[in-house]
Amino acid sequence: MTLKTVWLVFYLELVLLLRRSQEWLHPLGFFIIVVSLFPLIFTPNTELLQKFIPGYIWLAALFANILAIENIFLADMEDGNLEQLFLSQLPLTLLILTKLCARWLVAELPLIFFIPLLGLLFNLSAPTVIILCVSLLLGTPILICIGSLCVALTLGLRQQGILLGLIILPLVTPTLILGVTCVQQFQAGFSILGPLAFLAGVSVFTITLLPWVIASTLKISYE
Amino acid sequence: MCSSLLLQLDNLSCVRQQKILFSNISLQLTAGELLLIEGPNGSGKSSLLRLIVGLLPPSEGEIFWQGSPIHKKYQAYTEHLHYIGHANGLKLGLTVRENLQLQSLSLSLTKNISLILSQLQLTQNQDTQAKFLSAGQKRRLALAKLFLFPKRLWILDEPLTALDQTTQELFLAQLAIHLQNGGIGMVSSHQSIFLKDTIPIKNLRLGI
Repeated sequence: MTLKTVWLVFYLELVLLLRRSQEWLHPLGFFIIVVSLFPLIFTPNTELLQKFIPGYIWLAALFANILAIENIFLADMEDGNLEQLFLSQLPLTLLILTKLCARWLVAELPLIFFIPLLGLLFNLSAPTVIILCVSLLLGTPILICIGSLCVALTLGLRQQGILLGLIILPLVTPTLILGVTCVQQFQAGFSILGPLAFLAGVSVFTITLLPWVIASTLKISYE
Repeated sequence: MCSSLLLQLDNLSCVRQQKILFSNISLQLTAGELLLIEGPNGSGKSSLLRLIVGLLPPSEGEIFWQGSPIHKKYQAYTEHLHYIGHANGLKLGLTVRENLQLQSLSLSLTKNISLILSQLQLTQNQDTQAKFLSAGQKRRLALAKLFLFPKRLWILDEPLTALDQTTQELFLAQLAIHLQNGGIGMVSSHQSIFLKDTIPIKNLRLGI
């Protein structure tokens, strides 16, 4: 029974996100444009580009993530749905988790799908592209969890956008370092198991614990 | 504690932004009773209702549901409760039917949904996204869950706003049935609410 209900909530959340095309189009468009602008500020040296572009893709994903989550709870607060979530018979943590999953599927997964294309653009080797994708696959859940926590903290404030950037970016720096280290170590010919395992660990940690923290934070900032 | 006593407010006070909205409200509601909360704008009607639902912690005092404080058994308390605030709690991007599914948290709606929809004059709009409905239609859709999923406690913030005459009458009739079946109602309103004389109504005036 509970599983069915969670599935229903998840499904309706997905429907809602897909109907509002800006939710997935904005982060994706932003991501692609920012990455394609990178060669313009550099000398067109393929070797240098290949060396630096993976890190830059990670940075672009970091920014796109802010766009992806900045209004994750805003509509719910304005239309009164947040109150109904608090009163719901389902645990709030579970509801938050479904929201995060739906958001990740709609707004972050497309970025990862586009990376092979970007790899083609910059002539990255296939293994590099795969490792870049895997590191982002493990890293984006962290980004979305930490980002949503910051959104919950600043809920109801005016000019939330800039503030969000200021709070989120320092908090996700370790994720960025781990993610970029994966690719750099591979390019330098070292084993990538260490940073990858770390990234996976942090990912599991945030996915399991942060929804609970986000739920409590939401309740506090809603009062 | 008397077993028929259902909801009890004990010495409730609410302070918001260093301003006392109301203080020392104590009252009891038993099965079949309606509490009508009146008062000018900003007198704390909505805050009182949100306090009772548990969305706001009271500055002082305690709320009891069937003898125990609501925050101790919050899940068991919200199970019996319908709350409709100023915002309707509808998802504007979902259709009328999807909204009802979300509110019921089940794909198969239990009661006769088409009957309720036709009573609320929403049959033709059941596959329309809620953002295309008028203010009154949205309010009707929000009220639909009251009739679809019976619960003992109705806590409604200005339920009559934006409703036309027919729907107001339909709502009041349903409210009367709800009370006669042993439910409890708490309604804040600008307008006066007329029900049958047999139904006990308690009045609470805030902000005087």
